[in-house]
Amino acid sequence: MSAEIPVIELRNVDKHYGPLHVLQHINLSVGKGEVLVLIGPSGSGKSTLCRTINRLETIDSGEILIEGQPLPQEGKELAQMRAEIGMVFQSFNLFAHKTILDNVTLGPREVLKMPKDAAEKEAMELLTRVGVDAQAHKVPAQLSGGQQQRVAIARSLAMHPKAMLFDEPTSALDPEMINEVLDVMVELAREGMTMVVVTHEMNFARRVSNRVVFMADGQIVEEGTPSEFFDNPQTARAKEFLDSIRGH
Amino acid sequence: MGYAELFAAYGEKYLLAIFETLSMTVLCFAIAMVISVLVTVMRVSPIKPLRLVGDLYVQVFRNIPGVALLVIVAYALPYLKVLMPWKVCVEVVVVLLASAFGSENFMTGINAIGVGQIEAARSIGLTFTQTMTKIVIPQALRSAVLPMTNLLIATMLTTALGSQVPLNPQELTGLVSFITTRETAIGILPFTVSAVIYAGFSVLLGLAGNAIDRKVRVIR
Repeated sequence: MSAEIPVIELRNVDKHYGPLHVLQHINLSVGKGEVLVLIGPSGSGKSTLCRTINRLETIDSGEILIEGQPLPQEGKELAQMRAEIGMVFQSFNLFAHKTILDNVTLGPREVLKMPKDAAEKEAMELLTRVGVDAQAHKVPAQLSGGQQQRVAIARSLAMHPKAMLFDEPTSALDPEMINEVLDVMVELAREGMTMVVVTHEMNFARRVSNRVVFMADGQIVEEGTPSEFFDNPQTARAKEFLDSIRGH
Repeated sequence: MGYAELFAAYGEKYLLAIFETLSMTVLCFAIAMVISVLVTVMRVSPIKPLRLVGDLYVQVFRNIPGVALLVIVAYALPYLKVLMPWKVCVEVVVVLLASAFGSENFMTGINAIGVGQIEAARSIGLTFTQTMTKIVIPQALRSAVLPMTNLLIATMLTTALGSQVPLNPQELTGLVSFITTRETAIGILPFTVSAVIYAGFSVLLGLAGNAIDRKVRVIR
């Protein structure tokens, strides 16, 4: 079997916030089509790790490679690379002054220099796919949280990303809206999208992911397939975490 | 002397003064808006020296009384061989003051946008310039309509600094000084006329600002 170049690779990544060592010697690689779920207690560094992958957070040392290429430091090259990695945020972060359609077409038009008609046609297809095409001409504040998050996913997809990062995509949603967003993500995973997902949705992790990475105190403590991890955790820290979320 | 005689003698000068006040206001405000956008972009740029210069600009011109600034521009700068016409001196001072306050208004608008939208813009590959021109500045402009309306009114009132230097034709406040110097017995009348004109335009600008704000406000 030939060794495929991972889509995302982190080598010996370290990061400090002042005296806090928030990422400690992180080594991680994500293969093409893999769905990797990052879980762990709050403050464990999982969101930070996710955000370093498209350099919304800088790192102190180590290397981050996208398809074997090191992440550029700043400027145009970095912007270009970011365009190739989709990102979905906890708080949706749609552009408040633009319609839903314009939110989705902005990247393709400004970054990929697509003509308006083509960008809008594709955006409508994406919005149909995530089920919010009827809202295309509204502004974000007129949509529910679940709808906004689905638009955010469509906005990322419009850039034809090589991989997508999800930073707690359902944590800000009312319970009844969580599934409509997870359904879109499940669909994406089925289609072979490479995904890194920070989440507290254990059912999603179990059902959809190929690999679960458990973090605590800035370190990767344990990783394995979902059934290995959930049914037979190896470390005390992971057992403790799983007990605490199973709780009652 | 009553209103009738005042207008008979000075009506034409009043019309000229209104034009002078309004044209200075429009010119100064327009230039101040351009400068405040530039200063604000400097203040949020990733380049530290630019941020410092932007902050310094605002701190200096926001915190000097207009009259003091006019004394410097009109009476001190000539010693440094910077000699400008009286009217330009007044306009420079008004622009410096208005742009410092204008930048503060934009900063408030930018702070309301929140870091999330900026991160989202960067994550789809927009450069700093694109993030500024497509996401940050449009929203900052739209949420700054009401404070900018106030600033426009303040700019109009600040052109009264023109009464402190010899302008020809005079603006509204300068004209009052001119009339009261010549008609020593006239009392408060010319003041009242100018005050009513200022107030009338302020109300109109306020109404226009409210209407624009309702139209462009960003719903959050």
